[in-house]
Amino acid sequence: MTEKVLVYLEINNNKLEKVSKEIVSHSKHNFPDFEVIGLLLTDKADVSFLSEDISKLGLDKLFVAANNAFADFNSSLFANTVASYIGEICPDVLLMGATSDGRELAPRLASKLNIGLTADCTDLKIDENKTLLATRPTYGGKMMATIISKTKPSFATVRQGAFKFKPVSLVMPEIIYRNDDINGLTCYVDVISTNIKPEIEDWTTSDIIIAGGLGLKSKENFELIYNLCDLIGAKPAASRAAVELGWANQDIQVGQTGSSVAPKMYIAFGISGALQHMTGISNADKIIAVNIDENAPIMASADIAIPADAVTIIKSMIHKLSH
Amino acid sequence: MTFKIIVFVKQVPDTDDIKWTEHNTIQREGLDSIINPYDVAAIELAKNVKFILKDCKILVVSMGPKQAENVLIEALAMGCDEAYLLCDKKFAGSDTLATAYVLSQFVKTQCSDFNLIVCGQQAIDGDTAQTPSSMAEKLGIPQVCNVTALKDIDLSSSVWIRDTNICTQQIKLSHPCLISTSLKNADILPDINGYIKAQTANVATLTAEDLSVDIDKIGIKGSPTQVKAAYRPVIERNTVVFESKDTDTITDFIISEINNCKV
Ligand SMILES: Cc1cc2nc3c(=O)[nH]c(=O)nc-3n(C[C@H](O)[C@H](O)[C@H](O)COP(=O)(O)OP(=O)(O)OC[C@H]3O[C@@H](n4cnc5c(N)ncnc54)[C@H](O)[C@@H]3O)c2cc1C
Repeated sequence: MTEKVLVYLEINNNKLEKVSKEIVSHSKHNFPDFEVIGLLLTDKADVSFLSEDISKLGLDKLFVAANNAFADFNSSLFANTVASYIGEICPDVLLMGATSDGRELAPRLASKLNIGLTADCTDLKIDENKTLLATRPTYGGKMMATIISKTKPSFATVRQGAFKFKPVSLVMPEIIYRNDDINGLTCYVDVISTNIKPEIEDWTTSDIIIAGGLGLKSKENFELIYNLCDLIGAKPAASRAAVELGWANQDIQVGQTGSSVAPKMYIAFGISGALQHMTGISNADKIIAVNIDENAPIMASADIAIPADAVTIIKSMIHKLSH
Repeated sequence: MTFKIIVFVKQVPDTDDIKWTEHNTIQREGLDSIINPYDVAAIELAKNVKFILKDCKILVVSMGPKQAENVLIEALAMGCDEAYLLCDKKFAGSDTLATAYVLSQFVKTQCSDFNLIVCGQQAIDGDTAQTPSSMAEKLGIPQVCNVTALKDIDLSSSVWIRDTNICTQQIKLSHPCLISTSLKNADILPDINGYIKAQTANVATLTAEDLSVDIDKIGIKGSPTQVKAAYRPVIERNTVVFESKDTDTITDFIISEINNCKV
């Protein structure tokens, strides 16, 4: 192994962020000959609280930087710390999740190192020259751009749900734990209070997702999606148009400005298949679309297109499944 | 001493209105330009500060072509006090790192005694959300992103509400500092004084030379990222159209697909 990819692992509420796991998995499976190295910053004395998660990642090596000051996120402090590890590890590729913290930290770090950064990627590939090809939506999702970097390391942030997390058999990577000195000038940021939001159950990893759009015609009809999901053990989702009309909560919006999902099966009832919606489900194994209009765009981009009235089919399914 | 706020704004195409050429590239002529909706919210936050501190001046700055003057005049009408357009052919093609460098040079050369920088978190045309953080690093100042409200401010420090999907925080920063807001489209009506002022206002235009910009760090040449390919996404699968129109047949089919998926 000659090349190295360094993945910044984000921890929230004592758990590894989902997107961090997805990035490690993708790197492990798609970047041949790359050594996959993790880096995490913590205020804890050890990382045993993460052992289970870490053992399933398939990392080759893990650096843990520990300091009490890492209890609260501070982009300037974190950027200084990550930069010092980059100096030591010299990765060819640097990746982190496009989370709220990641989107604040990454540009600060890139600016510090004077390197390019491609944000919010939905796909990452390595070409034959071992160059990172980072692809992201642009122009409100109406166009995709593949971006390369002239500087090293090639640096990208990745959207949650763009990749699948495939756990590997339990192996602990070599862990290099250090009590980190904080040196260098760090900007003062004082976190006065933090209110953790209640954790919403993660529906995005469900095997089966059933989504509704404007074709359902009313909020009342949209509720049928919830009934159907309960009967099947699936999770509900919505198009942005359905969210905007208040039929569904923004948390369950699928697409470019919502969540990206990669279920085994995605069933879309009354959704037209706008690009911004479809980019959120491009990694689904199978897409079934039920739409009254045979010419709706989704009818040419699903695996199975069923021209029919959505509400009739949903009601019929509920009837059959509850008898 | 007058408290100085700098607000950076970007002129963006109205992405709801994009038309395509036959070659799948964006048709730029006739594309409406608007002030980035997140930057409108930034102006609103700056005005909140001015309302509290009174002795306060808001500078609005944009990097862009000559016609970006329009968004600056609009910003003046919303209540900003001075407008600056950073306009030079050499800036064209700058990526976010290069752009942040140019903007930070404005701060260093034209207004180094600033107290606060307010930005919209992202632009609706690029959505990269990189410029504010990148600039904060270049200026060596503290920053907070995802700001949704001002909680408290005096001359030396301010407290902001940061709202993310994980938590809501109150964060205190000493000045000078940078904040960027995740709000967009605040409904700011031009105020009458602002409107009158904007009619006769003078937008100062500054070039790379005025900002002592190192031209090796800007434009396409000075930008580390390069677009290798741009394309219109096509999402294609080998679609099979279901033949039957019979509700029972369709229902049984979907249920069997679901059962297959579960095993
Ligand atoms: C910057 C930007 C970001 C965006 N991000 C997202 C995003 O993240 N997610 C997202 O979903 N959208 C997003 N959009 C919006 C997107 O462009 C579409 O407007 C939206 O997805 C449409 O939702 P819809 O399919 O429910 O509604 P419509 O497009 O109105 O489609 C309704 C469909 O229902 C069908 N229908 C009607 N009656 C019936 C019936 N009786 N039975 C079955 N079918 C029926 C119709 O044929 C039609 O195809 C974004 C747009 C922009 C500009």
